[in-house]
Amino acid sequence: MFLQLIVMGLATGCLYALIALAMVIIYKTSEILNFSQGELAMVGAYIAFLLLDTLGLPFAVALPLTFLLSMALGALCELLFLQPARERARVIPLILLWAFTFFVLYLAGFVEPGVPVSLAVIVLVFAVWMTAETFSKRPLRKPTLLGLIIITLGLEMVLYGGAGGIWGAGQERLPSPVSDTAGFEVGQVYLSGLDLITFGGSVLIMLLLFLFFRYTRLGVAMKATAQNPLAARLMGIRPARIYSFTWALAALVGAFAGLLTASAQPLDNNLMMEPLLKGFAAAVLGGMHSLAGAVLGGCLLGVIESLVAGYLPDGTQYKSTVAFMIIILVLCIRPSGLLGRHFVKKV
Amino acid sequence: MTRKLTIILCILAAAMLVTGCPPKEEAEAPAEEPVKPAEPEQPAETDAAKTGVTDDTILVGQWSPQTGPAALWGAVARGTAAYFEMINAEGGIHGRKLKLLIRDDSYQAPKTKAAVMELAEKEGVFAFVGGVGTGPGMAVKDYLKEKKIPWIGPASGSSKWTEEFNRYLFSLYPTYTDEAKALVRYLLETAKKDKIAMLYQNDDYGKEGLEAARAELKKHGKELLAEVSVEMTDADLKSHVLKLKQAKPQAVILFVLPKHAAIAVGTAAKLKFKPLWVSTSTLSDAPLMHKITKGLWEGVVFDTFLELPDSDHPRVKKYREAYEKYGLKANPKEQWGLFFMAGFVFAEPFVEAVKKAGPDLDREKLVEALESLDKWDEGIGHNITFGPKRRQGQKAVFLATCKKGKAVKLTDWIEIE
Repeated sequence: MFLQLIVMGLATGCLYALIALAMVIIYKTSEILNFSQGELAMVGAYIAFLLLDTLGLPFAVALPLTFLLSMALGALCELLFLQPARERARVIPLILLWAFTFFVLYLAGFVEPGVPVSLAVIVLVFAVWMTAETFSKRPLRKPTLLGLIIITLGLEMVLYGGAGGIWGAGQERLPSPVSDTAGFEVGQVYLSGLDLITFGGSVLIMLLLFLFFRYTRLGVAMKATAQNPLAARLMGIRPARIYSFTWALAALVGAFAGLLTASAQPLDNNLMMEPLLKGFAAAVLGGMHSLAGAVLGGCLLGVIESLVAGYLPDGTQYKSTVAFMIIILVLCIRPSGLLGRHFVKKV
Repeated sequence: MTRKLTIILCILAAAMLVTGCPPKEEAEAPAEEPVKPAEPEQPAETDAAKTGVTDDTILVGQWSPQTGPAALWGAVARGTAAYFEMINAEGGIHGRKLKLLIRDDSYQAPKTKAAVMELAEKEGVFAFVGGVGTGPGMAVKDYLKEKKIPWIGPASGSSKWTEEFNRYLFSLYPTYTDEAKALVRYLLETAKKDKIAMLYQNDDYGKEGLEAARAELKKHGKELLAEVSVEMTDADLKSHVLKLKQAKPQAVILFVLPKHAAIAVGTAAKLKFKPLWVSTSTLSDAPLMHKITKGLWEGVVFDTFLELPDSDHPRVKKYREAYEKYGLKANPKEQWGLFFMAGFVFAEPFVEAVKKAGPDLDREKLVEALESLDKWDEGIGHNITFGPKRRQGQKAVFLATCKKGKAVKLTDWIEIE
């Protein structure tokens, strides 16, 4: 029982760790807490569903394509939602943003096929924006970090609602190359193929991320941008592109977590709500700046949850509470742990 | 100056957005029918009882989770809308067409309350039909009672609807208590399995089932081997299932959401734990459950209180045509299944009572007509009976099992006393 609980906790913990990693990648580079990370992963799972089930592509084609599309989606979200806010001179992303929003609304059926109406609204909003921009005496203020974090919350809602509109509220099942239900026994512990993929894939991703940040030019450029965007720019790095790439990378890690989650349970647009909260708790537990910390935090959280649920009487009721108690405890002991870092001037 | 201009333009843009995207929530009866709210010139005395009834329309309200985590159950309201369209196409009732106003509450009680007040006071609906959820329903129960607005068929099996007499509230859904009794009796008497454990949702729904199962087992001198709770938000049930497995039960009763049932059955298969799973009507959509469990739902026994979606029952066939004609037209992604059909079953007695109440319809006549229903069996439920002191319309369920992805009847209707 004990070993089984530990192994099951680690399997769940790996999922938390992946989400935590995705959040940490973005936080490390831009100090933004990305609350849309879970929904990006959920949309990743839906993309896989679209390719595998609706279009009937084989796994060998569909899975790489899913990862590519997820990365593109992550980069697109950054380009459309955060960059126009960060650098107000960027008109094109803003127009694209509106076009994209209406395209999603159109797909979801909220906007009638009356395209002229949509176009009229886009033009009008654009006119309002240009008017405000041209005539206002003082330039519109750039958003604070908090403002950018709130934008990710908005993005979360766009993705959640968009997925609900496009794929409906019904529950689907993602085809999976490995079974989560055909178990085999190792010693006294039951495992499934999906567990092995979860362990193997997570370790591989963690290793690759470590090597990427340590040894590649792009990885080093990301670290440089995190430390000092201005100096990085002087060295010939374009922070805007780095930020977009960061989101693509995080979306890739998230999509892997989304696929693993959707392989073990029905797919609907609530898929990643709980894993996101737990992943966030794991990231806080491990330290928002540390990749290794995210992994440790995720695994610890998974194992603690599993043991609490397994051994305490009525423990299954308090399992989820444990995650939030951990956040509170960490914040009590280290009040500057989560957001305090960005008040410290980095050199 | 320019700031003002900006503000004005912003407001204009917002106005265009609002008018440009009409809310899809109103399920219109035939499009050529103009909406007529309550006639204002009626005398004050009969006004309240006749609210929502005009010469050619009866306004009916329903709240429904069209968005949010419970959106799966939004199909209930769309089912009622299709049912009303079917009735209207047949000529309506005493020359009047039924018009259903659906309001999305996202399964959030505060929103339900706002929606119900809006429907009752601004739109002036005659009655409420259906309405998903125990929590949302509890939020408006007292308000509707105070306003004396009839409410027929809450889409929840909570026993709270009928534990205190309310003249205007008619419940159809057999209570979760009755369902749990039926399941335990089946396990003990028919399946001959007396080692029983339970996986229940940690809220009113799950706890009502848990207590009823405990009580029923106690009558037979037995008790549950394990009681494991699931939180609504849980996404991982590994420890839960391991706990169940440790107790070595022959059967496990499920009082959870479809998602959790799927995860539990899948995890159990991985752990080589193979009890007989039995579940409530909440999980009785066999094709759906078969799909989301990748076939592991095979052999699961469940109870249900309406005819099966793929049965040959003539009314089911008729409703299925209404689904194809109106349901799919309104929403091309609509699925024929338990939830959509539930929209019909909760509205059937209302429609029957409106017919019985005659052309001079008001709320009191509707209540009397409902009370006169005695073993009414022309719908897809069973022996609906109300009376001057009886507000629980149906107390019968039957058991079915999942065979090759389809529901197959195991028993005939069972009345739970």
